[in-house]
Amino acid sequence: MRRFALVALLALAFPASAFAHATLRSTTPHFGKELQQGPKTIELHFDQYVKLFNASAIKVLNTNGKDFAYGAHTQGTNVVADVRALPTGAYTVRWQAVSADSHVVSGVWTFGVRVPAPAINDAYGAGGPTRTEDIVRWIWFLGIALAIGALGVRLIVLRGLPVPRSLDRRIAVAAGIGCIVELQAGVAAFSLRSEDALQLSFGRFLYGDLSPMASTRFGEAFITMTLVFALVLALVYLAWLLDRVVFFVPAFALAVLVVGGLSISGHDGSGDPGSSWKTEIADWVHLTAASLWIGGLATMALLLWRSAPELRRPMFLRFSRMATILIVLVLAAGTYMAIVRLPHLHDLWSTGYGRVLLVKIALVCLALAWGAFHHFLVRPALERADEGFLSHIGRSLIGESMVGVAVLLVAAVLVDSKPPPRPLPQGPSALRIPR
Amino acid sequence: MTPHAEFVHWFFASGILFVGLCLLSEAIVGREVWQARAWRKYLWPGVAFSMGVLLWPVMAFFTNSAIHMYAHGSWAEVLMLAGGAELGLVHGRLKSQYWRLTWPLAFVVSGTAFIVHEQNPWFFARSAFLHHLLGWTFIGAAVFPLALVWRPRSPVLRACFALTICVVAVQLYSDRDVAPIFGHLSPLAGEPHR
Repeated sequence: MRRFALVALLALAFPASAFAHATLRSTTPHFGKELQQGPKTIELHFDQYVKLFNASAIKVLNTNGKDFAYGAHTQGTNVVADVRALPTGAYTVRWQAVSADSHVVSGVWTFGVRVPAPAINDAYGAGGPTRTEDIVRWIWFLGIALAIGALGVRLIVLRGLPVPRSLDRRIAVAAGIGCIVELQAGVAAFSLRSEDALQLSFGRFLYGDLSPMASTRFGEAFITMTLVFALVLALVYLAWLLDRVVFFVPAFALAVLVVGGLSISGHDGSGDPGSSWKTEIADWVHLTAASLWIGGLATMALLLWRSAPELRRPMFLRFSRMATILIVLVLAAGTYMAIVRLPHLHDLWSTGYGRVLLVKIALVCLALAWGAFHHFLVRPALERADEGFLSHIGRSLIGESMVGVAVLLVAAVLVDSKPPPRPLPQGPSALRIPR
Repeated sequence: MTPHAEFVHWFFASGILFVGLCLLSEAIVGREVWQARAWRKYLWPGVAFSMGVLLWPVMAFFTNSAIHMYAHGSWAEVLMLAGGAELGLVHGRLKSQYWRLTWPLAFVVSGTAFIVHEQNPWFFARSAFLHHLLGWTFIGAAVFPLALVWRPRSPVLRACFALTICVVAVQLYSDRDVAPIFGHLSPLAGEPHR
């Protein structure tokens, strides 16, 4: 007891060195570098002393899994391993060290010798996106669509209408749930992607260094979207607390601004073949319009149709007009991106990416047909419709939004898939081979 | 480009200390006097909610280990939840006192996160000791906000709740001090650094 009291007193009263898990401060060569010459040594610089996990604490693996590193040793707070001469190619460094607090910390990064470094997800041993990752990404999509759809419906469709405060609060709750889902799914997606790159058991993964993953496009998109959606959640909460719809405006603007991160974080995480600023803008337009369309439809069908019967007619008419514009944007941007990513028509049925795209196109056609039914048949009949007819329409809207949810599932699989490689340009440069 | 971990700990320790001192003042002078000015009733719940929001950047930028990311994320969520529920109650948007159960929940989740992400024994090193101490302080002291749900006017319970938060702040300040005087309870803890 006395020992306990003494330790407690000393711990709180005196300054002391805090031992935590070792943090990797820098590496040589750096993450993702393309080198003109193979490095003679691999160096890991930590913020504290570490011990070697075993003799092969650092592995330098080529694309066939051959290890080029000699035994590692410590130098102060560095772990160093000499490396055999590296031929041209892509390399993966996998390392493990024992932290001062006895935890085994691990990490992975890639570099290239006279070739670009592969994406961290293409590190030797990584398996690529799994079905679990597809599901998580789908939930991620759903969260974002719900947040953007709920806010968009309130700010665009219901603008100027006498919206009861209780309805505004419900919209805020729906948008807030969307943000929470986005935050949770984002963390899960980042963890799954990192776990695949690190190739560690769950126990070791908990102490795995995720910083190389954080510096990829996927990581940057995850960080940006997490920060922005945390802010969006706070703004939506303030709108709910203070009954001020004005907070929805910055929340909607911020959510729309970063929605493109979903596609930036997809595919191989380092840009698709043929990617340029034009495809990124097209992707952003595609995602924003689709989120607003599907999320808005779900919000209207599941939340507003029953809660605000007096607003059904104007809401339906206005949403129908907005959906027409959104569908044009979705189709235009989607067609442009399909042409860029699938250079040949036969890629549609001869590649995995193309086949998933075909399923998506089929589902979008179904949603479009359903939407056309609402636009061309239901809308003119709405003026003379009775309550029974309107409740049937509510169920029909739920059906259309469920098709939209299915489209998002296929979109999640598509974003995790890799488009086929683009053909090399004809001419002398095509004959050049890496040295 | 991220700040040193100790600076981040001190920043949040300051916020927690501020919340604790506000709660202590409220417990001493009574809720009616404390809330005589409208802005004061929003003060500590607002700071708690804001700290929850500010913990998201900590989660996103400090990715040197997965378990730290999860711990920071769980603290961000429970602080936003408990601070938000308290704001809703003082503003009158929420009516049920059971929303105050979010505080014992926050304590238990925070304490569990501290203990789970520290797998060394108490006397291994100073940070291990303080992680265990913080974890068990949170879990043990969850009884105060829990009892306050049914006895919200008890000055003793309010004072205990406030003091717990102040103690947590002090522990958090001590957790990341960097001068090499005390921290080698176990030879396995390594050599002094920085």
